[in-house]
Amino acid sequence: MLEAVLFASPGLFVEQTLNGLFFGFILFMIATGLTIIFGVLGVLNLAHGEFYALGAFLVFSIAGGLVGAVGQPTGTASAVLFAGAIALALLVSAAVLLPVSAIIEAVLVRPIYERDDVYQLLLTYALLLMLADGLAFVWGASPRRLQGVFGTVNRLPTTELVGFSYPSYNVLAILVGLGVFGFLIWFFERTKTGRIVRATAINREAATAMGVSTDRVFTLVFAMGGFFAGFAGAIHGAGPISASVGMGVNPLVLSFVVIVVGGLGSIKGAFVGAILIGVASRWAILVYPAAELAAPFIIMIAVLLLRPKGLYGAWGEIE
Amino acid sequence: MTMDTQLNRRDVVKATGGSALAAALAGCSTLLGGGEEGNGQQQVEDVPDEPIQAGLQTFREGAPAVLGLQAEYGAQTAVRRINEAGGVAGREMELDVIEEAGAAVENYTRFVDEGKDVTFGPISSGSHEELVPVIEEQGVVNVATDGTVTTLYEDSDPQYSFRAQNHDVMEALSAARTAIADLGADNIDTYANINPDYAFGYDEREIFNAGIESLTGGAEEVYSGNPALGASDMSSHVTAVADASPDVLFTSCWGGDITLLLSQGQSQGLFEEVGVTVAPVLYGSANDLSESDIEGNIWGGSRNFYWGSPPTNQWTPGQELFDEAQAEHDVIPTAHFMSGYGAVAAWATAAEKAVGLVGGWPTQEQIAATLENHGFYTPAGYHTIGPDHQGYSTAHFGRAAWDDDLGAPVLEDVEAIPPSHVSPPQGEASLEWIESW
Repeated sequence: MLEAVLFASPGLFVEQTLNGLFFGFILFMIATGLTIIFGVLGVLNLAHGEFYALGAFLVFSIAGGLVGAVGQPTGTASAVLFAGAIALALLVSAAVLLPVSAIIEAVLVRPIYERDDVYQLLLTYALLLMLADGLAFVWGASPRRLQGVFGTVNRLPTTELVGFSYPSYNVLAILVGLGVFGFLIWFFERTKTGRIVRATAINREAATAMGVSTDRVFTLVFAMGGFFAGFAGAIHGAGPISASVGMGVNPLVLSFVVIVVGGLGSIKGAFVGAILIGVASRWAILVYPAAELAAPFIIMIAVLLLRPKGLYGAWGEIE
Repeated sequence: MTMDTQLNRRDVVKATGGSALAAALAGCSTLLGGGEEGNGQQQVEDVPDEPIQAGLQTFREGAPAVLGLQAEYGAQTAVRRINEAGGVAGREMELDVIEEAGAAVENYTRFVDEGKDVTFGPISSGSHEELVPVIEEQGVVNVATDGTVTTLYEDSDPQYSFRAQNHDVMEALSAARTAIADLGADNIDTYANINPDYAFGYDEREIFNAGIESLTGGAEEVYSGNPALGASDMSSHVTAVADASPDVLFTSCWGGDITLLLSQGQSQGLFEEVGVTVAPVLYGSANDLSESDIEGNIWGGSRNFYWGSPPTNQWTPGQELFDEAQAEHDVIPTAHFMSGYGAVAAWATAAEKAVGLVGGWPTQEQIAATLENHGFYTPAGYHTIGPDHQGYSTAHFGRAAWDDDLGAPVLEDVEAIPPSHVSPPQGEASLEWIESW
């Protein structure tokens, strides 16, 4: 049936695939933080979706202020200035999550590492509620929508250069997502800090015996997870969606699906799982629109039946 | 103020029965206390002194707050006007507002346990369906602000449960009529749907499909998608509809979902591929839309209240309510503002009428009986509560346009559709009625 759609309307197939890649990369950036936190700290962070929401709210304020200051682009120089302002707003929004999540880890999460898993779930669920209340307190209960970025970026020709029209913002977000994946692979495989984090994930006692400060590693990993979730929220929030209290719940649920499909603790698994979930649910619409919401869970069930540890099955380790 | 306006106000005050409360809720505030009508407050000895305790449940957080806060503001405005006019038969109202999300039944039960005299809400259709049997069991009158699923009052015979806002059949058929008026029945061969994935979305689709197919003699549905409520992404539905290029796109998405759909639709050229888009709850997001969102042939509904219809130079209560909402809450009042306002106004005017009828403070049964076939004015115009406990008011649909002075969208070429044109006669089921055309 998918083949029929492909041959009947290849343009539709390509566009739905791009839709899936865009959403898949947003999911990947959220899920990758969730999976590395679980892989190293052994904590399933239920508040992770609120980091994504915080990124979206922050970019509403920061990008809103910067875009207001630099104005809409009217020529090449102002376009470069505008692009710089947006890039800066995205990075600063995500960067705010570094100290926020580091403090949460050091003050609240660290004291319960040795306790039963149920304490972690209770604590992170409480954090979810408190962060949601905090967002409502700072930004108010109504959705906040950043205007003047998504439409402006879409004026930049990208896919038009190869003969069809698709939002340039989404194309750029896909490229940024690919960059994040590349960075994470490089970081964990090629840098000393990355190797220390992996060593800590594999054998905490041995790493400690070799002089590794697990406290610092844990804080770093938690902050990294927060950063990438916030980055996903910032990219999504500067794009088509509004920042709203409660917006973190659905991506959190789908991120759990992604990391279960990919294998808990595996970055490659999160990447493949997110793209699979994003693209397959969009292809499902081509065949049977009502299957959109069920598609991610059907994929998860199928993967669990065939590979109970997920596609990259690195339980408790970062791969 | 012109003489025409004064006459208009006097006519309205007379129509409300001369009561200060009814006049205040109709928006005739400048005549209150003026002497010629008296303050209209009924003085009945058996009415207690203590304030009326009322409870409202509505969405106060997250994406649904786009509608829920409007209902809250509307209810607060109505309560304030009631109290400024001397209360309901001399009793002031106090309104307790709580979050609706996921707790409609618990909220209502809590209100009853606290001894509330009346409850208002919910917004959600699913919650309203769940709540009606509980209301009937507990016996404290509830006037729903929304929860507009059509069949709810067609399939049951409630005593204590009422709904102030127009039900789905009125706005879905208004949308079908608007599409026909814009394109012509002969020019509509195909249509598509994007509706939220819960009771409201399915109800709206079913009625719109029945209406458009009856009015066109068999237009074909080429796509139907149901994104999750509060969806993070609508692009897949946008792409699918753009590829199908239907003559009409119907969408009952609301709140953050309609802004997301419009935003992604504009970025992917959706509205260039569709003949006309009709969105019955579009104007509910008036405070969140940008100029670029509404480019193209897009028509929006505004349920039982659009502040600019009738034109504000002919009907000043709409303008006065608009000015109040801007001053107090910095928002454009939408139909959901009237959902809250109308629910409170329906109950308060009925309760005051019941006081006059029974010569004392009425029981829940007496207020409920008075609400049946009850009529009252608000700044939206005249409303009735039918014997089926459903509210009936003029429905509004207009072309979405941008107003530079307002810095917000407005509706142009607004058609005000009387209830009899878009809802079945009492006792008839909506779908059977549509299919009988």
